[in-house]
Amino acid sequence: MLKKIAIDQFSELVKALMDRGPLYAPVKGKEGVDFQMIQDPADVTLDFYNTVLSPKFVFFPQSEDYIRYRIIQGSPEAQPVPLESRPAVILGVRPCDVRSFEIMDRHFLGAGVIDPYWKAKRDSTTVIGFAFDVTQPADPADFYNTFGYGAADPEGSDIFMIRTGKDLLFKGMTDRGKKLLDSLGCLQKGDDRDEKTFEETVEKGKTVRTRSAEIDDRVIAKKLVSIFDNGEFWQKVSMACIACGVCTYVCPTCYCFDISDETLFREGSRKRFWDACMFTDFTLEASGHNPRPRIFQRYRQKVCHKYTYHVDKYGCISCVGCGRCIRSCPVNIDIFGIVVEAGKL
Amino acid sequence: MTAFKKIEENLRKEAKSLLESGRVALVLAYAGGYDEKHPVPYIAKTVADADHLVFNEYCTHNMARYLTRYPLGTKIAVAVKGADSRAVVQLIQEGKVRRDDLVILGIPVTGMKNQKTGEIIDTKTIADTINPVIHDILLGDEIHGVKTGSPYDVLAELESMDKDARWAFWKKEFERCIRCFACRKACPMCYCDPCFMDISRPRWADKSPTVDGTLMYHLTRFYHLAGRCIDCGECTRACPVDIPLYLFHKEVAKECEAMFGQAAGMNIEDKPAMADFKGEDSDQMLGS
Repeated sequence: MLKKIAIDQFSELVKALMDRGPLYAPVKGKEGVDFQMIQDPADVTLDFYNTVLSPKFVFFPQSEDYIRYRIIQGSPEAQPVPLESRPAVILGVRPCDVRSFEIMDRHFLGAGVIDPYWKAKRDSTTVIGFAFDVTQPADPADFYNTFGYGAADPEGSDIFMIRTGKDLLFKGMTDRGKKLLDSLGCLQKGDDRDEKTFEETVEKGKTVRTRSAEIDDRVIAKKLVSIFDNGEFWQKVSMACIACGVCTYVCPTCYCFDISDETLFREGSRKRFWDACMFTDFTLEASGHNPRPRIFQRYRQKVCHKYTYHVDKYGCISCVGCGRCIRSCPVNIDIFGIVVEAGKL
Repeated sequence: MTAFKKIEENLRKEAKSLLESGRVALVLAYAGGYDEKHPVPYIAKTVADADHLVFNEYCTHNMARYLTRYPLGTKIAVAVKGADSRAVVQLIQEGKVRRDDLVILGIPVTGMKNQKTGEIIDTKTIADTINPVIHDILLGDEIHGVKTGSPYDVLAELESMDKDARWAFWKKEFERCIRCFACRKACPMCYCDPCFMDISRPRWADKSPTVDGTLMYHLTRFYHLAGRCIDCGECTRACPVDIPLYLFHKEVAKECEAMFGQAAGMNIEDKPAMADFKGEDSDQMLGS
């Protein structure tokens, strides 16, 4: 059953969601629009193409404490930090980003070890996906069509949201999503015409063209391994790379982290926090040896992790074509173009 | 001003001739990216490579940033706009590159645009260095008669704030930092290897993105660039969350210029302000 609310009543919905628990939604900030935990319903905006940073931090914060401790003479005290399981909602996630959560699930939940930190937040969070504006062209950096995603694909969301002229339409895609929709008194029932609009938008979303190429997971995985030693190619495609961490930090599917104990005046915490394979010290060993001292080696690692190792280990490419790494790259490196070029070698 | 297309044509022509004659091994300039608005820094090594070179209003990157990648003695041609040329001068002053190794391709230009916003960047950075301060070959005619104002005009708003308000302003900005280190990596003057932030013993700042550690990083970097920042604005354009780093750098540059009577990278004969001592140097830091 479709539900709807008039756009000018949208803040009623935001308030209702905030009453249930933490709500993450797009907020206009200085750099553009990004997801934030909402304090004031008026902060939420639906006028954006896509967020600068990906929504992964809702499940995988940039920094997260495992254990907090005090160093007391003789008997240090240490307490594990309780897992965060609260009925949260993340609203406004674009279809390609919704797929990123499923890819991250394979790593955090399907690798033989279940990551309790990811799982607690993922299990307790309802994802409200949000169709791109299907009347507008895609950003030139995007290439999510490559992975078969449309601009208004509802799959993967608990609830999928579409904006029409004056309404927001909501469709429950999972039991959790349907339950949440049923509990929201501020929503009205949609009629047959709304159903039709919803379906038409999903279809129209499939006609929004991003850059796209035939990239078969297994074929590209093999291809990249076969050109691993082609230093000339890797140096050429990464010559502009300055080895910062922008691409990995804005990426919805990069999950590498570091762990460190940080102590200040006898109190501290053991924490994990994002790390980036483009950093010089990412693979620096205690001996002083660094197996990837050069930028092209680290760039190759990044591409191969996403397009080869992830396929070998988890059966899918770890990229959704959201275009963030390309839009935010200080030197405009285009991973899509590089993968396509590699495929032709 | 010479048209962008004409500058591009000259760039290709000069690059070809320099590579063909063997005068240089590399030409640092720009090539096309995934669209016209997103050119990519490019290192041409052959005459055929030179055909890929482009120049348009979005070629904002400071190519001097790549110079320190190569060992001394490598013959390099580098395409530089006004502020970029100051980076070359500063690197020569600091002994990181040698004048004899370089062929400096100067590009006098105004109207460069920020790729993300489309806004013209001249007024925020490169304010009074429209023409390269050093060159061997000019790729366009020098520009005269453009009134640019002081590079420090944009500081008026920050300077009018009291200490607490200014602290609040910067704290808020640095709380948004995601520690991607794009600012230091885009900076032509950040060539330390290793950077103090990458040293684990001792650890100078938290490895995790704490606010304290982030402040430690940025404040140290600002002071490390005292008398060295050449105002190209690359740190700010590289920042994915648009932290206005250039404002802090400008403030330090302004004070440095007032105290030591020289701006960074203007004159190849100067010594870096922080690496030189003169009897008449300001001692106002010692006062009050």
